[in-house]
Amino acid sequence: MSKMEEVKAMLEAGKAKLVPGLVQEALDEGNDAQSILKAMIESMGVVGDKFSAGEVFIPEMLMAAKGMAKGVVVLKPLLAGGSTAYLGTCIIGTVEGDLHDIGKNLVAMMIESAGFEVVDLGVDVSAAKFIEAIKANNNVTLVALSGLLTTTMPALKTSVEAIKASGLTGFKVIVGGAPITPEFAATTGADGFAPDAGSAAVKAAELVG
Amino acid sequence: MIIIGEKINGAIPSVAKAIAEKDAGFIRNLAKAQAEAGANFIDVCASVENNLELETMKWLIDLVQEVTDTPIAIDSPHAHICVEAMKFCKKPGIINSVSGEGDKIEVVFPVIADTQWECVALLCDDTGIPKTSEKRMEVFGEIMKKAKAYNIAPSRLHIDPLVEMLCTSEDGINMVVDVIKDIKAQYPAIHVTGGLSNISFNLPARKLVNQAFIVLAMNAGMDSGIIAPTNQDLMGMIYATEALLGKDDYCMEYIGAYRDELFGQKK
Repeated sequence: MSKMEEVKAMLEAGKAKLVPGLVQEALDEGNDAQSILKAMIESMGVVGDKFSAGEVFIPEMLMAAKGMAKGVVVLKPLLAGGSTAYLGTCIIGTVEGDLHDIGKNLVAMMIESAGFEVVDLGVDVSAAKFIEAIKANNNVTLVALSGLLTTTMPALKTSVEAIKASGLTGFKVIVGGAPITPEFAATTGADGFAPDAGSAAVKAAELVG
Repeated sequence: MIIIGEKINGAIPSVAKAIAEKDAGFIRNLAKAQAEAGANFIDVCASVENNLELETMKWLIDLVQEVTDTPIAIDSPHAHICVEAMKFCKKPGIINSVSGEGDKIEVVFPVIADTQWECVALLCDDTGIPKTSEKRMEVFGEIMKKAKAYNIAPSRLHIDPLVEMLCTSEDGINMVVDVIKDIKAQYPAIHVTGGLSNISFNLPARKLVNQAFIVLAMNAGMDSGIIAPTNQDLMGMIYATEALLGKDDYCMEYIGAYRDELFGQKK
């Protein structure tokens, strides 16, 4: 097995601690940072798909994402401009009136491992705050809004509408959360929807890439 | 949790029969099954007449080592047999056991002093099994004095607080829990072990009592056990308890053991 394959295998197995060492070994073998990153992003896609298919558990996906993050630390100095955000910046947050963050945090990790720079605004984020963050950050290509309560579903809709009406462009909007159905997501005017964190990362890359 | 696989013991009728008939395959299978089920050590106890014990030990240890690299727990009430049988082992294992009784410690500790061998120590002495937690802690204190004298680090000791039958106990396992907590408070690196099955003697549906006990004992600080690793319900309970006690980051050990089919799979 080549070092590159080992990186992929260990990442997919959630052996987070082993990834940075293997990434270094893959570099020493002569692989360039760019292709190692690409391989890791591919592996994260595999893990995300497995999660969506119910083949792996949340912690296994989480550990893969952690491994990815640790591997990226090794690559960062070698990548153009020290940035790993191939797909640009993603602004993420839970909408106003909603304090849930477990699912949102998971999505943030997965989106980051798909190749985005993630700016996490936390919970109870107003539409105005989302818009402010889109203005304040460079190269925003994705805005991700999470809502976990049936009572905050309307806030999801008004937030997407406000962001779309702000006149700002260059990004796609994605929504998700436990009670959100594809049908409801469509009524919000969002560009995309994902039922879980694994597919959120895949969807994000698809929308922007 | 350190799992000491208990199934190769001449006190178990099927094993006694295998020993009497020199059924090597039976012993090999027991060793292999326990190693595959995640045992950290494989206990070997001959339970035969004294004049046959050492040769039976050798026969058993050789068979185990033919099929697995899992280290051996040499289980004998005779300290000199334990020390003799160390020679048959390819790598350091555990001596099972010494106690405050007689000269057991004086026989074993000097021999394992400068090695990586670990040792089970029971909290009883020449007066028998102490009735109170204070008395058991006194025995413990004596054992630790000797361990220090022979430069045996606490992390190499597995203290067995001696779990007795629940059905005749006046206060459940409270006394043993106190002893376990006290031991761990004094020496955080020390291991606390125990035979699991004593607790449920003379009760119906013993498995349930054993499982409930392991959860409570682990909660008190027990981190080693002489158990049947092939008992999936028990192993699942142990992994689940470790996760609940915060000793398993993101439940990855629990999930991994499930993936390795150590428990929770349809048989």
